[in-house]
Amino acid sequence: MIDRRDLLKIGAVAPIALGMPAALRAATAGVSLWVRDTRFQRGGPLILAPGTVALNGGDVTPLWTGTLDDAWRKRGFLVAGMTGSDALFVLEQLAWHRGRRVVERSEVAPQDGTRPALVRWLIAPVHASVVA
Amino acid sequence: MAILPPDLSPADFAKALAELRQAIGTDWVFSSEDDLGPYRDSFSPVWDTDKERKASAAVAPADVAQVQAIVRIAGRYRIPLFPISTGKNFGYGGPSPNVTGSIVLDLKRLNQVLELDEARAFALVEPGVSYFDLYRAIEEKGLKLMIDCPDPGWGSPIGNSLERGIGYTMAAFRDHFGASCGMEVVLPNGELMRTGMGALPGAKTWQEYKYGFGPDPSGLFAQGNFGVVTKMGFRLYPRPDFYRTGLITVPRRRDFVKLVEICNYLNDAMLCGEIVYASPLAGLMAKPDFAALATRAGGPSDADMDAAASAAGLPSWQVDLQFFGPEATTASNWAYAKDRILAAIPGAKAIDGDAFPLPATPEQMENKTQPYRTSIRRHGSLGVPSLGIWKIVRDDGHLGFFPVLPRTGEAVFEMQRVMCDALREFDGLPSFFNATTAPLHWHSFAFQMVFAPSVRRNDPAHNAMTDRAMHKAVTVAAEHGWGDYRAAPIYQDAVADTYSFNNHALRRFHEQLKDAIDPEGIIAPGRGGIWPRRFRKP
Repeated sequence: MIDRRDLLKIGAVAPIALGMPAALRAATAGVSLWVRDTRFQRGGPLILAPGTVALNGGDVTPLWTGTLDDAWRKRGFLVAGMTGSDALFVLEQLAWHRGRRVVERSEVAPQDGTRPALVRWLIAPVHASVVA
Repeated sequence: MAILPPDLSPADFAKALAELRQAIGTDWVFSSEDDLGPYRDSFSPVWDTDKERKASAAVAPADVAQVQAIVRIAGRYRIPLFPISTGKNFGYGGPSPNVTGSIVLDLKRLNQVLELDEARAFALVEPGVSYFDLYRAIEEKGLKLMIDCPDPGWGSPIGNSLERGIGYTMAAFRDHFGASCGMEVVLPNGELMRTGMGALPGAKTWQEYKYGFGPDPSGLFAQGNFGVVTKMGFRLYPRPDFYRTGLITVPRRRDFVKLVEICNYLNDAMLCGEIVYASPLAGLMAKPDFAALATRAGGPSDADMDAAASAAGLPSWQVDLQFFGPEATTASNWAYAKDRILAAIPGAKAIDGDAFPLPATPEQMENKTQPYRTSIRRHGSLGVPSLGIWKIVRDDGHLGFFPVLPRTGEAVFEMQRVMCDALREFDGLPSFFNATTAPLHWHSFAFQMVFAPSVRRNDPAHNAMTDRAMHKAVTVAAEHGWGDYRAAPIYQDAVADTYSFNNHALRRFHEQLKDAIDPEGIIAPGRGGIWPRRFRKP
């Protein structure tokens, strides 16, 4: 199970453009999906590690229709990521509706005028009907 | 400190919650502060103040029988219920109730698409079905049907239509309540009622003829508080073969009057889909000199605006047109639109846009192939739910004031001028109303303009200004005959108060009905500005 220290480590040493280091990925076993936000990419092609999806321009639509809408009808399925705060707001609303909560959240970088704040977070099932 | 329903002791509230748990299961009764977080209005300008409306609990029934049980328990304890479908409704109060201490009746578990009929083009759904769900059900069955969805599309057809929400396709479907056909309702006494042909046992036409016989009470359940809608039918658009777009520009400010006249015809004759107006001059608002002109007290002169447009090399207005149907029909309708507008308005220009068969490819959905700068929301225009629009939300959310105005260019100019002057004192807000502000043709046969000031969770002074601006906007608009179409609970009384013809005859009529049907205010007292006697001020 991911804990607060793991998330802090991710935020400190794994800029979103570089992906999630394998060692840290191992430390956060239990997370089913990592989410990145292309708005915070630092240049160069976006390389996605297995188990990672990108939000193009912060748009949650493909992640919802392609993955979470189905996955969050079932038990379990933790999701962690670093995204814009606006994308997290959308995910949080969708998560609430399916018995899940943002159980970890911290700001990595403030809003900078063109982009929203960068936030790292973990969404986990909390309702009895979806807890694994 | 725990929030209690009105007039209820902690002991009796505990008994009520116990009965609710017995009726629907412990896991589906929420009463802790943590559990109730999702039922607050995330966009509230009065967040954490004594004006914020908060629930005392929430319940999520699994079926209609459980809804009836909840209503009856609430009736015994005189606890107000606040029904929600998926509870989005951001900008209009979200899932928060009108009365603090209400129990939110969260219908998310009633999430079945009960019927889809391609040949007769309708759907019958439950409240917890989202537009995404309905779209997916149609796609999975391979039906040639198109939905009309709001943007974002995470709300529910029932919730959105009961708020009189809108979409972006053809006029017959954009008015979501207007496109509804037949509903099932749990009344305040727990009884189940069906409207229209649904009241006739054995009828197979519930989603085809909405009226049945005698008065049709369906309208009472939209922005109303006379029952809990548990099923609702919707007319669907048979998916057209082809989609085509085109852009018209006109050079002078006053050309907008004739442009609107012709576009009204195109809309009302069902020749085109949503008409999307814009002013290319809006891009000049970042320049202080132009912004000063466009927000000048009393409004700028046509000559000054035309001179600014000419100097910038820009047309004063543009309109995105969209055509649906057989390919040849879309081509004919676009040719007809061009001919009429270009003949009527000297200097008008037309540019052909996209033209492709439906369904659109993913690339076409991106709306990046138009040979001009378009204002069309392609997902909405083609009835495909999306969450991408969320990026336009500024700060920590916004409110929504959408006054309804006549579909004339003159009315648009008047609202620009009046509302710009009225809201000038709130200089911390963007100039929503200026000489480049275009009307929205979302509703089938009326214009709206938008005032959507932002809220900031950690800036009470900004939120207080936003709150004052909302109240002033409602008041000033009403003085000119422009009424809001939808409002958050904290503004519903103010808006309802402006619909005051003949000493508030409409509100008194609603109150008489409420007193007869729901005297204790079990269903959403205060919603739509309708209060039962129990809650009315003497």
